[in-house]
Amino acid sequence: MLALKNISYKYEGTTRTIFKDVNLEFSPGKVYTIVGKSGAGKSTLLALLSGLDVATGGEIVYNGENLAKINRNHYRARQMGMVFQSLNLIPTATALDNIVLSMNISGVGGNKTRALELLKTMGISPEKSRRKILKLSGGEQQRIAIARAIAHNPPLIVADEPTGNLDKETEGKVLKIFENIAHEQGKCVIIVTHSRRVTTIADEIWHVEKGIFRRFDGNVNAPQTQKRRRK
Amino acid sequence: MYLLEHAMLNLGKNKGRNMLLLGITFAIITAIVVALSIFNATNLVIEETRTSLQSAVRIVPQMQTLGETGGTGGGQMITGQAAQNQATFTAEQFSDFANSDFVLGWDLQDTPRGTDAVFYLVSPLLLSDFEAELREKGLPENYAVRTDEAAFASIVAPVESLQSLAITFLAVVVVLGGVIMALLSVIAIRERKYEIGVLRAMGLKKRKVAFVIWAENVIITGFCFVLGMAAGNFLSQPISDNILAGQILSNADGESTATTLAERLASESADALSTENFSENLQIDILINATTALQILAISLLLASLVGIISVSQITKSEPIKILMERT
Ligand SMILES: Nc1ncnc2c1ncn2[C@@H]1O[C@H](COP(=O)(O)OP(=O)(O)OP(=O)(O)O)[C@@H](O)[C@H]1O
Ligand SMILES: [Mg+2]
Repeated sequence: MLALKNISYKYEGTTRTIFKDVNLEFSPGKVYTIVGKSGAGKSTLLALLSGLDVATGGEIVYNGENLAKINRNHYRARQMGMVFQSLNLIPTATALDNIVLSMNISGVGGNKTRALELLKTMGISPEKSRRKILKLSGGEQQRIAIARAIAHNPPLIVADEPTGNLDKETEGKVLKIFENIAHEQGKCVIIVTHSRRVTTIADEIWHVEKGIFRRFDGNVNAPQTQKRRRK
Repeated sequence: MYLLEHAMLNLGKNKGRNMLLLGITFAIITAIVVALSIFNATNLVIEETRTSLQSAVRIVPQMQTLGETGGTGGGQMITGQAAQNQATFTAEQFSDFANSDFVLGWDLQDTPRGTDAVFYLVSPLLLSDFEAELREKGLPENYAVRTDEAAFASIVAPVESLQSLAITFLAVVVVLGGVIMALLSVIAIRERKYEIGVLRAMGLKKRKVAFVIWAENVIITGFCFVLGMAAGNFLSQPISDNILAGQILSNADGESTATTLAERLASESADALSTENFSENLQIDILINATTALQILAISLLLASLVGIISVSQITKSEPIKILMERT
């Protein structure tokens, strides 16, 4: 569904190569987690996957099409949902408006009832849903950001640190939802995380360090070398 | 449709900024309304005066005209001289002249210098026919039949200064207003960079983001248009009256000619009035008609669109990833 082929990346105006010849493949119906030290390039990878940024070398192929060459507005709006590390909700709008707007942009049509329902499953009451983002707690905001990412039912969900602000119980609920989306609804879920607990729902765990991705096979302490290297 | 809704929501959100924008747009539009309505009203007065005066003719001594260097700008002079030679015709002679198919009506007036007459022709085009007829009736060759240019000039002079003032003011307001609104919109977009980045990251096209911002501007402008029309309607009449009063005062010194036609225009009564009296009575009714309203609407929307264009160029400058990263 989504494949990275010999991806290299360097931020403009910097000398450090974040990625060099990375090859990864993501399939529908699975949960992927990506772990690694702060600054390893996890958010950078998600920016590339979401089409917000374009790789300096190699190509990212989504359903047979090169992301660099297709309409990325359309891709971002319809094909994927993203939970940003910094959430990026519109702070002056209500939670509900944030969700409805995203649904509208994606073309599925804003539906308040559906949005409220979704927020409820995320543990956000209708009363809180009508509050401005600024007046909600960090954990609440995080769940709204997750709701926004899945509201338009995209085939690909990309989440950066989506449970960082949540307590154990809420984290468990949210992970159930992610698991359900992948395993029941057949979507592809990619989660960047520092939390061990998140990796428990993963079908594949990838560790990134110095621009190299290695797959964990069940044992977090025994990384394998990168598979799927082509060429 | 949802974009419009979002634009409406945005307007409700950032009250401080929008109130500022609203105030400034309101002031600009009010100024435009005042300037444009005065300009259009003066235009109308000048046109009306021209058409009504073109069919008003008087008999002036030709000799004096030949004595001039032949410029048509000497209208004021001719009348001045004519006034001195007025006594050449008697009331009976004037009456005889007026007895013509070309003449709609005529006026006989006693000026301090003698008797003068104004003939109102059926159409300004009949001037030469009328003159030929007068020659047959014995009008000497050294007299010519002329439209009353002096009267026109004396009426129109203060109105013209008012008009040029209005047009200058209009130009200043539009240019200055445009610059201010452009600056404001640049600031507003800077402030909203983050929100724009979020919308773009969600996959909203640049074109649509621009539409949201443009729509907000148009809504504000539309609101200000209504308010500005009301305020301008109130203000333009007193402003026009004030300026006109000033113009007439400064014009009055330079004026010596009594123009009977002007008097007639000023008051339909037969009483002879002096030029000064006439000028004091001169009043331009400023009415905002449909054309003026449309012009103002067009200028306002143009300003709003200018703001929109600047906003678009601002948005186009940065990619969402950059905007969002700048924040963290
Ligand atoms: N806009 C940028 N310009 C230059 N360098 C950047 C930029 N953004 C990030 N970097 C650098 O790229 C590296 C990878 O950053 P990235 O945000 O991907 O890390 P991360 O793995 O998500 O870290 P964390 O777990 O703290 O979120 C870091 O060293 C960071 O300093
Ligand atoms: Mg990160």
